[in-house]
Amino acid sequence: MKRNLLTLIVGALLILIFALLLFTFQVRTSEVAVVTTFGQTTSEISEPRAFPFFKWPWPVQKVYKLDKRIQNFEDKFTETLTADNNNLLTTVYVGWRITDAKTFFPKFAGGSVAAAERMLEGIVSQAKTAIIGKHPLSDFVNAQEKELKFDAIESEIKAIAQAQLLVNNCGIQIEFLGIKKLGLPESVTQNVFDRMSAERKRLADDLQSQGEAEAQKIRSAADRKAAEMISSADGEARQIRGRGEAVAAEVLPVFQQNPELANFLLRREALEESLKERTTLIFDTRTPPFDLFSGVTTNRPAK
Amino acid sequence: MSNDPQTPPSATSRPDGMDSGSQALAETLRGSFAIVKVVMVVLVAVFLFSGIFTVNPQEKAIKLRFGKPVGEGEKALLGAGAHWAWPYPIDEVKKIPIAEIQRITSTVGWYATTPEMELAGTEPPAGASLNPAVDGYLLTADGNIVHARATLSYRIEEPVRYVFEFVNASNAVQNALNNALLHSAARFTADDLLLNDALAFQDAVRRRVAQLVQEQRLGVAVDLCVVQGRPPRQLKQAFDNVVTAGLGRSKALNEARSYESQVINKAGAQAVAVVNTAEADRTRLVQDVTSDAENFRRLLPKYVANPDLFVQQRLVETMARVFTNAQDKMFLPTSADGRPLELRLLLNREPPKRKTEGPGP
Repeated sequence: MKRNLLTLIVGALLILIFALLLFTFQVRTSEVAVVTTFGQTTSEISEPRAFPFFKWPWPVQKVYKLDKRIQNFEDKFTETLTADNNNLLTTVYVGWRITDAKTFFPKFAGGSVAAAERMLEGIVSQAKTAIIGKHPLSDFVNAQEKELKFDAIESEIKAIAQAQLLVNNCGIQIEFLGIKKLGLPESVTQNVFDRMSAERKRLADDLQSQGEAEAQKIRSAADRKAAEMISSADGEARQIRGRGEAVAAEVLPVFQQNPELANFLLRREALEESLKERTTLIFDTRTPPFDLFSGVTTNRPAK
Repeated sequence: MSNDPQTPPSATSRPDGMDSGSQALAETLRGSFAIVKVVMVVLVAVFLFSGIFTVNPQEKAIKLRFGKPVGEGEKALLGAGAHWAWPYPIDEVKKIPIAEIQRITSTVGWYATTPEMELAGTEPPAGASLNPAVDGYLLTADGNIVHARATLSYRIEEPVRYVFEFVNASNAVQNALNNALLHSAARFTADDLLLNDALAFQDAVRRRVAQLVQEQRLGVAVDLCVVQGRPPRQLKQAFDNVVTAGLGRSKALNEARSYESQVINKAGAQAVAVVNTAEADRTRLVQDVTSDAENFRRLLPKYVANPDLFVQQRLVETMARVFTNAQDKMFLPTSADGRPLELRLLLNREPPKRKTEGPGP
C-alpha cells in the first residue's frame, strides 16, 4: 500500500507537470504574448505575473510570443538632396519596439520582425528624404553651435516616421532615432581633398613666411637694442670723461702762475712722447748737445 | 516528456490483474510496472536536477520566475558558480555573457582596413577619392573630411534593463557612439579636431555618448572614451608639409633668438668696456693733471730763480732720454764751407709694411 502511495504521488506529479505544460504558459518580462482562439486574436498579455496564465490547449487556443524589447534597425546608406542641392549620403539607426501586439500581430504575418523592418525602412526613408530636403548642408555641419541643427533634424525625422507609423496603424513605436553615418558622393570627396590640399598648402606657406618675418623682427630688434646699449654706453663714457675734464680744469689755474714754464713743460713732454720708439733722428752739429762736436775732426775715430 | 503518455496505460492495467487466466500476464505487467516506476522516479529526479545550472566567470545570470526577474537591480544578478532554479514552467534562467568592462569600437569614421593590416601597421593604398560604401569618414564643421575612430569602455549598471529592454543593447551603445562621433565632428573644424583641440573633441564625443545612453536609458555607464583622429591618407603629404613648415618656423625663431642673445650679450660687454675705458681715462686724466700741477708747483721756484739755466738743463736731460730711446741716430757734420749738406730722403712706397722710415744719405 505504501509503495502504491508513492507511485500515486509520483504519477500525480508527472500528470501535473504535463498539465501545466499543456494548459498554462508564462510571459517573460521582455515578451508580449498574443493568444489566438481558432485563429482569431483574442487577448494580449504584456506583463508577467506571479503565477502562470491559463490557456486551452491546441487546437483551441494558440499562444504567440513577441519580443517587446527595443529592436535595433539601420537603414541603407542612401543619397538624398539637401535644400542647397548637395548630395548627402545618410544612414540612420532606429530603436523601435512593439507597443500594440494585438495590432502588430495580424498586420505582419505571424508577427514577423523582418516584415516590420521592411515597412519601417520605407517609412524612415521617406521621412529622411522629406526632412533632409528641407535643410541645407550647413545645418548638418557647422562650427557655430547655435546654427547646427543636427539634433533637430534627427527629431524631425523621428517625428515624421512616428506619425506615419501611427497612420498605418502598425503597433510600433520609435524610441530613438539617430544619424549613424554621413557621407558625400565619391566624386565630391575628390573635390574636398583638392580644397583641403590647397588649404594645407596655404597654411604651410603662411607658417613659413610668418616664421621668417618673426625671425627678422627679432633680429632687427636685437640689432637696435645692441646699438642703443652701445650708444648709451658711449654717452655715459663721454659724461665720465667730461667730469674728468671738469676736475682737470679746476687744476688749470695753477699753471697760470707761470704760463712760460707751463708751456715749456708741455712741449718737453710732447717731444718726449712723440719720440718714444722706432724713431730715426738726423741732426746737424748745431743742435745742442751736438754742438759739442763742432770743433772735432770727424775723419779721425772719436774713440 | 515523450515517456509521460505511458503512465495512463500502466495505471489502468493494474485492476485487471485478478483474473486467474491472466496470472502470467499480471506477472509480466507487475514486472514492467516496476520498470515504469523506476522510469518515473528517474524522470522526477531529472526534472529536479535539471534546475541546476552553472554560471561561468565571464557571465552573470538572471533568474526569471513566471517571467519576472527574481530580485531587483544588482541583486538580480547571479555570479559565477552553481545555482538552482525550478525547471521551465516555473523558473527560467537568462545568462548574460559579460565581463566587468565592455568595450566597443566605432569605425564609421575610419577607412576600410583589416585587423591584419592594423597589426602590421600598414594601411590600404589610398585612391584619389573615398568610396562611401567602403571607407568611413567624418564631415567636419568646415566641410572637410577626416578619419576618426572611438573606443568606448562602459559598465552595465542596470543589467535587467540592459537584457530585458533591448534586443541588442551593445548594438545600441555602438550606434550611440557612432552618432556621437558624427555629431561632435560636425561641430569641430578639421584643424581643431586633428591638431589644435583633439582632447576637446574626445571630450565632446564622450559627453554626447553619455547623454545618448542616458536619454535612451540603455542602463550603462560610460567609463572611458578614447578617440583617435587622422587626416585622410590622400592628404598625408599635405598635412606633413604643414608640420614641417611649423618646425621650420620654430627653427627660424630659435635661430633668431640665439642671434638676439648673442648680439645683446656682445653689446652689453662692449658697453661695459666703453664705460670702463672712460672711467680709466678720467682717472688717468685727473691723476695726470694733478701730478702735473704738483710737478709744476715744485719746479716753479727753481724756474723763477734762473729761467734760462733751468730750461737748458731740462732740455738737455730730455734730449738724453730721447736719444737713448731713438732707434737710429744720424749725425751730419757741417761741411767745410759752412753750408748745410743736402739731404735726400727716400721714403718707402709702402709705409704701412715697414714701420720705420727708410733713412737715406
